[in-house]
Amino acid sequence: MNDWAILSGIEGNLAAYEAVLADIKRQRQPVEELYILGDVIAPTAESEQVIQRVRSPQQNEPMPQVCQGWWEEQLLILHGLGRTGEPTELIERYGITMVKTLWDAIPREMVEWVRSLDFGLFELDCLLIHGSSVSVSDQLTPDTPAMQMLDRLMRMEANTLFCGRSGLTFQYEIQQGTVTSSLTTLDRSNSPQAIAVKPRQVVGVGNVGRLPGQASYALYRPNSNQVEFRTVRYGAGKGFQRASP
Amino acid sequence: MKVAVMSCIHGNYEALNAVLSDIDDQSADKIYCLGDLVGYGPHPNAVVEMIRALDIPTCQGCWDEDIVEGLNSCECSYPSVLAEKRGKQAHEWTDQVIHPEVREFLAQLPLSLRDDNLCFVHGSPHNQHEYLMPEVDAFVALERVLVTGADILFCGHTHVPYVRSLDAGQLQIRVKSTGTTERDVSFSAPLKRIVNAGSVGEPRHGRPNATYVIYNTDADQITLREVEYDYQKTCAAIIDNGLPPIFAWRLARGLEFAERADDPTHVCER
Repeated sequence: MNDWAILSGIEGNLAAYEAVLADIKRQRQPVEELYILGDVIAPTAESEQVIQRVRSPQQNEPMPQVCQGWWEEQLLILHGLGRTGEPTELIERYGITMVKTLWDAIPREMVEWVRSLDFGLFELDCLLIHGSSVSVSDQLTPDTPAMQMLDRLMRMEANTLFCGRSGLTFQYEIQQGTVTSSLTTLDRSNSPQAIAVKPRQVVGVGNVGRLPGQASYALYRPNSNQVEFRTVRYGAGKGFQRASP
Repeated sequence: MKVAVMSCIHGNYEALNAVLSDIDDQSADKIYCLGDLVGYGPHPNAVVEMIRALDIPTCQGCWDEDIVEGLNSCECSYPSVLAEKRGKQAHEWTDQVIHPEVREFLAQLPLSLRDDNLCFVHGSPHNQHEYLMPEVDAFVALERVLVTGADILFCGHTHVPYVRSLDAGQLQIRVKSTGTTERDVSFSAPLKRIVNAGSVGEPRHGRPNATYVIYNTDADQITLREVEYDYQKTCAAIIDNGLPPIFAWRLARGLEFAERADDPTHVCER
């Protein structure tokens, strides 16, 4: 089985996405699957072009599998298609003017595509999702408490959870663990039992478009469970430049 | 100090009265209620008025929320399609008979309560609709207690009382992140417990008796209480008020009369 490329947070930055696609093509081990963990869009004029590029890969590129991110959820809320009725989180983070900015940035004809995206993707024993199994806003980082990480994995019975909300690249391995559990009901009492947890991991896949001139993403080899983080520098004066096709 | 904790009264005034008498007999110093005051049973207003009159600290249950907000949960809130259909009938009936001030009272109930190292919720700390079943994975259960910062988490919602002890929890972690050195982290947790208070008004442990719990803080002892009461009276009131007769049938047997949810830990996103 060939590699997967997993990325998140293009955030309407076409040049950054092109740079990552070019880096993917340069890999010695062919990349078979391309997963985009949401935030394809952001309140930028280029978001429409990014959507078109994501939806129409070139012949030698894998068809991306995309799930919803935080920005997609905000857009759906604005159009009355979200999980909540009010764009409370959007306004709290960016102020009331962002409502109109985001509304204007993404044409209505693109909303149906955004709506069609899954909340998360499950492949082999891996959950691929923007935030976590809890919500798109749930931000997992290298400092997230261990039990919280384990909970996010176990909610979907995943051995590996790939996420992008924090924008960080990290590998958080739960190597082993035990807890002693006992249960008493009205009719019976079980003696304590030691329960072990099997090794699992959470992988932060970085962010493509937020930092100008620098994109990060992850390569994953399912056969060996190996993760490699890639940092791609692009744009003038960065030693790498690629014209848009 | 003795702390009595009850949950899921579900409009069953007879059962509430019996439990309050038993709490009195046990000389409890404090009472907490974990919500679901209404729904299924024939006396939602009387139950709420009693809780208010006694000034019992109460957190909001999923039924209380639904009566305030309107039904907005997905089918996952019910263990089966049949249960969902019956639940909707009960919701409509309760919604019609509930007094405005009772609805206002339910609306202002908190989602959780805290007393020193004790935390009180209806379903779980994450969601009123989440079922913390006794067989839920031990690490998932441990996370639910740890997230509250308490030592004992009291919950209801499943209608079956239990005490789950989770001791000597430990995890070994390795964290690698770009630009920093790899680090190993050990995590350990002392004894934590989940105490499910069962159900006063709609028990599902196989008998019709009301259930609740008493925690003796001095002896650190938890007692599951089972209280007999005249459930036939409630059953008759269910029929007389035109509620689905199956509610009387299952109340008389202490059964759920529905298959288990496929994924009891699933949390509705709506």
